[in-house]
Amino acid sequence: MSTPELHHRDRCAIVGIGATDFSKHSGKTDLSLATQASLAALADAGLTAADVDGIIRCDMDNVRGNDLAHSLGIRDLDYLGENGPGGAAPCAMVGQAVGAILSGQATTVLVFRSLNGRSGRRFGQSPVEGARVGGAGSYDELFAPYGLLTPGQVFALMAQRHMVEFGTTPKQLGHIALACRARANANPAAQMHDRPLTMDDYLAARMISEPLRLFDFCLETDGACAVVVTAADRAADRPNPPVLIRAVAQGSLPDPQPGIQFPVLMRESITQLPAKVVAETLYRRAGLGPDDIDVAQIYDCFTITVLLQLEDWGFCKKGEGGQFVASGEIDLGGSVPINTGGGHMSEGYIHGMNHIVEGVRQIRGTSTSQVAGAEVCLVTSTPLPPGSAVILRAA
Amino acid sequence: MSATRPLPVDDDLDTGGFFEAARRHELALRMCNGCDAVLHVPVAYCHQCGSWENRWQTVAGTGRLYSWTVVTHQVHPAYPVPYTVLLVELDDHPEARLIGQLPGTPDLGVGQRLEVWFETIDDGVVLPQWRPRTTEEST
Repeated sequence: MSTPELHHRDRCAIVGIGATDFSKHSGKTDLSLATQASLAALADAGLTAADVDGIIRCDMDNVRGNDLAHSLGIRDLDYLGENGPGGAAPCAMVGQAVGAILSGQATTVLVFRSLNGRSGRRFGQSPVEGARVGGAGSYDELFAPYGLLTPGQVFALMAQRHMVEFGTTPKQLGHIALACRARANANPAAQMHDRPLTMDDYLAARMISEPLRLFDFCLETDGACAVVVTAADRAADRPNPPVLIRAVAQGSLPDPQPGIQFPVLMRESITQLPAKVVAETLYRRAGLGPDDIDVAQIYDCFTITVLLQLEDWGFCKKGEGGQFVASGEIDLGGSVPINTGGGHMSEGYIHGMNHIVEGVRQIRGTSTSQVAGAEVCLVTSTPLPPGSAVILRAA
Repeated sequence: MSATRPLPVDDDLDTGGFFEAARRHELALRMCNGCDAVLHVPVAYCHQCGSWENRWQTVAGTGRLYSWTVVTHQVHPAYPVPYTVLLVELDDHPEARLIGQLPGTPDLGVGQRLEVWFETIDDGVVLPQWRPRTTEEST
């Protein structure tokens, strides 16, 4: 392979996955959760903290890399990385681990996300704390004084516009919530495991920010997930079959927006996510296309986020996401089953990291909603300003 | 309002001109002196022509509704629900969109014509706001 962007294809693997319980009240610090998920991932990989020489965190995590190194007792730390903003991080963090490993800066990298997203700072609540809001490059001063305060309200503006442009209906969005919930009902670790959801339930639920209802929203969650990345040639003798990282990609739309969420409303089209650009890059690097994807873990802070990404990732045409999700294609047995652990909507919101863990399970064949013969899994972290994604495959 | 409404930081080096113009009851956007590009959200450097020279230019103050959401779940005591957040596309500079808020659940549609007005909140802070257009349309 002579093209530099193809050099990383299949050369690293995820050899360990770990997760804490997902709950509304962990009773633990973010650091304890990160430590617990990391220990689980290392045990799953048949490794110990002594084997880890790299740590990569999300920029919105309260736990720094050196905090986790201290907690785990990692003595030979050679690489500390960070990515973001927020939900754009998880797949980019895996990509960063690949870069660190292939450039010789690290051999065994721990990638984690930890948050008390329900008992601590809640993303669905107002971020306004003092008498003044914004400034210092946040741009919040142009948005929050009008009562535009939460990610859900931003995505509601996108959903409304998609409905006007393409005739998308609330019931179509409901199919995404139902698909995630049905997968969660099969997953004992999912917060909504025991809570079935019908379309009548979905439509009858209270409106939060029109046109988005209660079940269009993900679950603010306390919990953590971690994965262990190493070179493919070191991965073979681990306890679990290695899951190859076929390709990684990050990207931003040609008119990049600053900030974390609100400035994306300046995009030429607000029904466009960075997924569009990331998809092109990732498919090219992987030598694969949407038809090759057996199962996908699609970043789902809201139902509309999934719908927009399904269009951007080429599973259906732009504007046809509503019909696509209503057709059963995202369910088990469909052309691209999604969020097989229940996703953010119904398993838990670990800010995109649980999607990577579930992607590994699918390739190992250990998901609670296993897609028969799944060999290629797409995982996306493409919600707002930039985004990232990985394709995982069987060795 | 049932609680003190949070005030915008209105003296930020990059965005403060927006609020300074609003105190004069003018709607202004930051524009590049080199190539007249609209710098929104506001920044000091024009990546289109490389200029650091720019101005706050008064614009028409009319626009069309690009999208909206009726907020029915309250997250801040100063913003009792229901209220409606507007995303406004400016007639003369559609590359810049601005936010507005209307009380309650008004009957709205994409493309609806809107006009700016100026709301004094507190401490001399003025917010450009938007409402359905009532004045005669100019040609």
